[in-house]
Amino acid sequence: MISLIVIAVIVVVVLLMVIGAYNRLVALRQNANQAFADIDVQLKQRQDLIPNLVETVKGYAVHERGTLEAVVAARNAAAVATGTAEKAAAEGALGGALRGVLALAEAYPDLKANASFVALQAELADIENKLAAARRFFNNAVGDYNGSIQAFPAVLFAGSMGFKPREFFDVGEAPRATLQDAPAVKF
Amino acid sequence: MAVLGLKSYILDNNWKSVVLLAGFPVLLTGAAYGVQLVLMGLGYLPSTSTLDGDFALSFRMLAAGAPLAFLVAGIWFAIAYWGEGSIIAAATGAQPVTRQDEPALYNLLENLCISRGMPTPSIRIVEDEALNAYASGLNPKQQCVTVTRGLLKALQPEELEAVLGHELTHIINRDTRLMVICAVFAGIISLIAQSLYRALLYGGGRRRDDRKGNAGFILFAVGAVLIVVGYGLSVVIRFALSRKREYMADAGSVELTKNPDAMIRALAKIKDHAELDAPGQVTPLFIEHRGRGLAGLFDSHPPIDDRIAALVKYAGGRVEAQEPPTTGVPVTE
Repeated sequence: MISLIVIAVIVVVVLLMVIGAYNRLVALRQNANQAFADIDVQLKQRQDLIPNLVETVKGYAVHERGTLEAVVAARNAAAVATGTAEKAAAEGALGGALRGVLALAEAYPDLKANASFVALQAELADIENKLAAARRFFNNAVGDYNGSIQAFPAVLFAGSMGFKPREFFDVGEAPRATLQDAPAVKF
Repeated sequence: MAVLGLKSYILDNNWKSVVLLAGFPVLLTGAAYGVQLVLMGLGYLPSTSTLDGDFALSFRMLAAGAPLAFLVAGIWFAIAYWGEGSIIAAATGAQPVTRQDEPALYNLLENLCISRGMPTPSIRIVEDEALNAYASGLNPKQQCVTVTRGLLKALQPEELEAVLGHELTHIINRDTRLMVICAVFAGIISLIAQSLYRALLYGGGRRRDDRKGNAGFILFAVGAVLIVVGYGLSVVIRFALSRKREYMADAGSVELTKNPDAMIRALAKIKDHAELDAPGQVTPLFIEHRGRGLAGLFDSHPPIDDRIAALVKYAGGRVEAQEPPTTGVPVTE
């Protein structure tokens, strides 16, 4: 009788531990998903600003068709990108193309003085900052989640219950140096 | 379980809080048992002929004694629940402000609330040069975030946002309620301990009946030790819980603002400048308050340096980034 009770208690405790570990993984995965959605919001906003930016710059920098076409192409590629790695790569390219467009202001003083260009510049810089923060937060969340599914006891069941490791939002080596110290957009 | 990042850090702290909180009912029941032993030893409660019998009888009496203790706790809590907000405001001299008075402050708080889909708490300001802030309000209607004038002057918008995020997390986590629960439990056990002290001063032994003299003394002593130990533990648990919730509020703020560096800078600025006059019941709610002595066991707040270290370790904060990055974006004041 006693041994039966002891076994029952052990089973219940183990069961509770598994439930607790499972719920924790769900919370961590949800946290990472949410953090990715936060990045997405900023990326979408940045994409939406680009037609305005191109429209504004076009009037002043008539001989820079190549630079403008590059940013539009990068924007369109970023808009259809799916998955963490693909998105990160597309956004890295878009960030680079954007810097190219904003750098045009140096060669065209009239553009530099244009009120809507200045406003766009400020808005893009703000988004860049928020992006840097959201990216850091996401990578922290992914590190948390990935580490937790590899830790005992979760490692025993995480894989079979569909907890797959997530990719970090890695924007590539070159842009990262500038992104770490936001803003990437220099005037 | 492994604590690797911000979220698991928060979950871990939450779990430890639950364990600490569970200690209060145990302590209160222990104290009630102690009270019965004392009363038995003094001859106010019926007792049996043997010492073992007395302990067993007292244990059975808990069926009535423990619910009585929890009933008192419930009534005490109900009184605190309805009166808390205004009591604290009166104690610190906080004045309510509107969106027109402080649009920048209001916007910062409102943006954080929108991101969590919660109603914006009201804002109060204490006209004091100290750097401090607190959250109060037990029910949704009373919820309020209070900051000092000094804080508004000294902090950059990002840092102020981090402090508001800290206070908002206290509200989201219902920490104000938790702290009242702690105060009520610790208060009741302290009341019992004080009554014991008085009984010892004035009535102790007088009614002790000679027939069972020695046994009566043992019952009294055991009960008294139970009460005193319970009192000490209740105070330790209360402050341990308070410190856990501070760590959680720091982490929760980073979760809201996504900016551990600003939280670190804000804490560094607040350090050594937080002294705001207020009664002891209020200070656990502050963003920072220094207690004194005994290796931090009776501090309501962890040392600022430890809080910064936790942000570096779990939230990916950087201490070096002392100055906010210049964005070229005009700061809306």
